Amino acid sequence: MDQTLQCATPSDPAGRSVEAKLAEIEYSPSGVKRNGANGWSLMVKEIADNRRLIWLLIRRDLSVRYRQSILGYVWAVVPPILTVGIFAFLNASRVIPIGNTRIPYVAFALWGLSVWQLFAGCVSACTASLVSSGALVTKVNFPRETLVIAALGQPLGDFCVRLLPVVAVFVWYGVTPQWGLIFVPLLVLAIMVLALGFGFILSIANLVLRDTGNALGMALTVSMFLTPVLYPAPVRWPFFLVNVLNPLSPLVTATQDLIAIGYINRPEMLAAACLFSLALAFVGWRAFHVTIPRVAGYA
Amino acid sequence: MSIDPVISVEGVSKKFCRSLKHTMIYGAKDVTRDLLSISQQSNALRPDEFWALENISFTVKRGECVGLIGPNGAGKSTLLKLLNGITLPDTGMIKVSGRVGALLELGAGFHPMLTGRENIYLNAAILGLTKEEITDKFDAIVDFAGLEEFIDSPVKHYSSGMYVRLGFAIAVHAEPDIFLIDEALAVGDISFQSKCYAKLQEFSDRGVTIIVVTHNLEVVTSRCSRAVLLWKGNILRHGTPKTVVDTYNRMTTEDRAKSHVINGSRAKSANSNALGKNIEWNGLFNVNPNEERYGSHKAEIVEAGIFTVNGAPIQVIERNCEFLIKIKLRHNEAMPVAVAAYSIKDAKGLVLCGTNTLFQNIDMGQVDRDAVVLVVFRQIARLNAGPYLLSLGCGTWEMGQYVVYDRRFDYLPFQVVEASQRVGLFDPESEIEWQQLQ
Repeated sequence: MDQTLQCATPSDPAGRSVEAKLAEIEYSPSGVKRNGANGWSLMVKEIADNRRLIWLLIRRDLSVRYRQSILGYVWAVVPPILTVGIFAFLNASRVIPIGNTRIPYVAFALWGLSVWQLFAGCVSACTASLVSSGALVTKVNFPRETLVIAALGQPLGDFCVRLLPVVAVFVWYGVTPQWGLIFVPLLVLAIMVLALGFGFILSIANLVLRDTGNALGMALTVSMFLTPVLYPAPVRWPFFLVNVLNPLSPLVTATQDLIAIGYINRPEMLAAACLFSLALAFVGWRAFHVTIPRVAGYA
Repeated sequence: MSIDPVISVEGVSKKFCRSLKHTMIYGAKDVTRDLLSISQQSNALRPDEFWALENISFTVKRGECVGLIGPNGAGKSTLLKLLNGITLPDTGMIKVSGRVGALLELGAGFHPMLTGRENIYLNAAILGLTKEEITDKFDAIVDFAGLEEFIDSPVKHYSSGMYVRLGFAIAVHAEPDIFLIDEALAVGDISFQSKCYAKLQEFSDRGVTIIVVTHNLEVVTSRCSRAVLLWKGNILRHGTPKTVVDTYNRMTTEDRAKSHVINGSRAKSANSNALGKNIEWNGLFNVNPNEERYGSHKAEIVEAGIFTVNGAPIQVIERNCEFLIKIKLRHNEAMPVAVAAYSIKDAKGLVLCGTNTLFQNIDMGQVDRDAVVLVVFRQIARLNAGPYLLSLGCGTWEMGQYVVYDRRFDYLPFQVVEASQRVGLFDPESEIEWQQLQ
């Protein structure tokens, strides 16, 4: 006993000053306290300390996805092209007449659908992130926020791949995007922030109730039709409600505006949507942080 | 020098729910309360809930190695999860100071599609190592796991042993101040196990605090400085490994004996306890006043002792001398003669040797009530010098289980002395030859 205690001097073989560096952690029914820090300061520090882990998790997902599939990225590209193909046919044959679009319908729909799929992909990947990690969540203590954030990586990768057919279609129809295009990445970021907000909340819900995953697939399908991606933003009552009540709509419409006309038609709507996205992301993050130690056992 | 506890657990309880449906409903409610910052009414049980841990308090000082033992479902793993912060307690408070490394499941978080190399980088990052630390330790991890050849194959092609070795190697190289292990060492081949134990010893020497959950009681007695016995969510005993392991052994046997109670045998033995005519060694030995004694008392160990071959009582034996262990069994009903057994433990409680009449196929036939049988074991003392404890037992083998009539753990302390020094536990009695070659 005495011997081991003597070893406890700062000249520890690991070269670490033990007395100085000891992290104090407290666990109580009301939550976790680390070195006296709890709440936001702890949350920010955890993410900052684990930047590299997030990056490694993203790389893992990307490399695993394409390791056992020959067609790899093709699977990311085919579904939106099929969907747009069907709608282009329905539109052209006047079975479902879709109003005029500012750029050719196929280009319009393929772009909109790619953006919507980025959102849908992010929400579903975040929602599944905890459940699919299984033992990692139940048996290892680390900031699980990293799993949810890293889940954004693969949908973003898929989105980048989907840009190839989008560019091809734009070239084919001779559509030249406006200069506003350079601001589109910011909107893409806003869409991912919105998705992350939903993802934080739904990933926890999915741990407790697996129904969440099933319900989400349905909800996302419905949301595709409630977002102006396959049709131009409606202007008549009551249909224009999808522009107002769906926080995703202003973000998607803004990207369409920037490409087609170079400026944003309804900046106030966009600002509101961005604020909502940010607020939801922070609320979701907080909710996630507070509840994860209570529900980690359900994974 | 501060010896503040590195782990302190105060009045900690944790409840679980028996039915899955209620689990989900309660989970949803708890989450909602958390979100609305309503305080959890966590100290009361709701229907279908039970306490997996109840009012647990203990502290662990720096450099200690604590063994957590107990039957399945006693709450050991739950306690480890609480210490690691994976779940939060429902009451009480846990304080931990230092970097915690935990091995609750080996290879948790390995991705089967990734190679060993990729998994090392990812897993180490999850355990909180920086890039530089991982690069520094990468070779040591691969070397410790013995996986040089396979490090670039996907881990899904690994054998379960390789999987486990890699998981352990990463965890120990994370340089924890506090190391929590759950059953992890029960796997891997013997050479890897001894590597693990050597690493744990190195941790101990360096002042790393270790908490190990195990069913292997030898690990507890030989490696731990302290042990905690959990029983149905409570700390039943807490102290030196030897006493705790003895208690655990007694509890498990009593638990088993309860389903085998032979009606009234205990009462009968109490009546005939006055029978004193067979006590003749009283005062000859310094018996241990704190022996652990239990059993159904269908038969009893009246007295026992250690003697020289000439019949003189001794408590100090010279190594390599022949000696006798004599046990007197009284039978409290007409029955077959009970199996007589002894075992010798070292001071830590590690069982070093022992035998019984059943193992050696001695059949002593049937006896009447109140018959006393003297059993003499004759052997040579091979053990090296040191203090030892003699434990005795009598019982029978019934329906595939050993039923204890009377067990007297640590009945008699004795010493072995030696004329010439040896290392280790026993004298291998080597014969040494030599010759000059050039």
